[in-house]
Amino acid sequence: MRTLVKPRPLFIGLSALCLLAIWLSLALGPVSLPLFDTLRAALRLVGVPIHGEGLEQAELILGQIRLPRTLLGLAVGGVLALSGVAMQGLFRNPLADPGLVGVSSGASLGAAIAIVGGSAIGGLPEAFGPYLLSLCAFLGGLGVTALVYRLGRRNGQTSVAVMLLAGIALTALAGSTVGLFTYLADDATLRTLTFWNLGSLNGASYARLWPLLFVTVGVALWLPRRASALNALLLGESEANHLGINVEGLKRELVFCTALGVGAAVAAAGMIGFVGLVVPHLVRLLAGPDHRVLLPASILAGATLLLFADLIARLALAPAEMPIGIVTAFLGAPFFLYLLLRGRH
Amino acid sequence: MRLSTRLILLCAGFMISHASMADELPQRWVSAGSALSEWVNALGAESKLVGVDSTSQHPQSLKALPSIGYQRQLSAEGVLSLKPDVLIGTEEMGPPPVLEQIRSAKVKVEMFSAEADLPTLKGTLEHLGELLGDEAKAVQLFKAYEQQLDEQQQQVKQAQANHQAPGVLLLMSHAGGKPMVAGKNTAADWLLTQAGGRNLATHSGYKTFSVEALAGLNPEVLVLADRSLSGEEARKALMKENPILASLKAAKEGRIYELDPTLLVGGLGPRLPASLKQLTADFYPETSANR
Repeated sequence: MRTLVKPRPLFIGLSALCLLAIWLSLALGPVSLPLFDTLRAALRLVGVPIHGEGLEQAELILGQIRLPRTLLGLAVGGVLALSGVAMQGLFRNPLADPGLVGVSSGASLGAAIAIVGGSAIGGLPEAFGPYLLSLCAFLGGLGVTALVYRLGRRNGQTSVAVMLLAGIALTALAGSTVGLFTYLADDATLRTLTFWNLGSLNGASYARLWPLLFVTVGVALWLPRRASALNALLLGESEANHLGINVEGLKRELVFCTALGVGAAVAAAGMIGFVGLVVPHLVRLLAGPDHRVLLPASILAGATLLLFADLIARLALAPAEMPIGIVTAFLGAPFFLYLLLRGRH
Repeated sequence: MRLSTRLILLCAGFMISHASMADELPQRWVSAGSALSEWVNALGAESKLVGVDSTSQHPQSLKALPSIGYQRQLSAEGVLSLKPDVLIGTEEMGPPPVLEQIRSAKVKVEMFSAEADLPTLKGTLEHLGELLGDEAKAVQLFKAYEQQLDEQQQQVKQAQANHQAPGVLLLMSHAGGKPMVAGKNTAADWLLTQAGGRNLATHSGYKTFSVEALAGLNPEVLVLADRSLSGEEARKALMKENPILASLKAAKEGRIYELDPTLLVGGLGPRLPASLKQLTADFYPETSANR
């Protein structure tokens, strides 16, 4: 199959873009730090004792605000794109996205319960409070996905079609439950809920970052090992079976990785749409459907897209901040359309 | 010569100590709360504000300041880029991790209560006065405020001695949508009662009403709290869209009044007494006509 870009130049290009995005994400923000100060603050962060005027402030902004935010963006973007590949591979459909197995709607439901009903859930230890929303979102995503998977299983076989339909039904159910909470909410909570649904990397802290990084690295190391199996699955389930692939095990792994990855990403940064659906698609348009390239390239592309989107989110309306969910689609959709139309001629 | 030198030294000493005293007071303020911004302004310190949130809409001049966005979705770097000495806001301000980051950059973060009652307001004003170095003015403002509310309560009492409290509904309508009616436990309910009205809605919070339910309650007075409904034209359009509204007693008698919706958020603001007086006058037209 002919591809637009060969794997090697693709990886070199994506890595360069990703490094550029990381650098910009560390160097730019509403507070304008001179380049020299940024570099010196970075050295201070790694323990080199440099002193100078305003360096303390620069170190704080770099170390406590921009670095965790950049890492969060990398992890969220990477894991969302990767989950997208897993879902499109599982359903053998480029239109699939992680929402299909119910992880997004489940997380949304968890978040709505936490935001609207949070104060009503009494008796929680206080240290728990700040993480209640993240925890509920994560558990909600995991729970609904587990249910969808369970519903798709019969006689030791998982029917992807039944899973798909069960996912749609549970998404609708979760959606109307969220609607009920929306009805019960007052104006302020309603607004919080709306903002959560648009996602944000704002207020990233290391405490929220570590669990997500852990999950992301795990999933990013695990899924690429299944690249050949995913390639075989492209031919069809029975064909993959005949090729000696444990299809049932593969399905379970894909669903589990997606639930874990998207659940953790959403718990840390709220709902960020578009990345999971379009990034894998985009990479496929550039480099073809081979999962050995698609999986790692999607991680890089997703992380890069999210960092660039976040740059716009934090700079466009500074000192105010725009939800990143708005930007990802604004940024990615036109580019995606361009690639689509170009591929047609 | 020696005397003048001493004098100069003494003067210089005074100036330095004075300057250092003034230094301790925060000079660059960012406010994330509508009523708080208004109070800072009323205390004569608008020039110290370097940024406000999106709910701070009064006075108009505040709109020229950089906006730090919605009070619950502040950005740490955004706020820090304004180089503030202090960030003030209500307990709705957030998210908490961002406030933590702002605090760690040695910016004072002062949280005030948004509770709508006088003791809370007293505390708020006293604290603001302290931070501005003008406690006397804060005390004076509070006294005047208290007095205005007292007067307004007198007005209500007088009116209620001769007339029955009118049944009122307060409608908030998100442009084009069905009107939402203010029920119990809302700032709007407190406002209506304070102005001498009887809120006919018995549910709690703001809920959309079917027009049938509206017709059943048949309020004598309607209060519209929505910027998109201000002006005669908009009101006519609303009546046209909801014919039942036009059949209400309030509409027939032309007793539909407007209320600035920004009065309903963020606690007691400085514009409240005047609006309350106006509402009371609207609720009891006979009394105010006699006066």
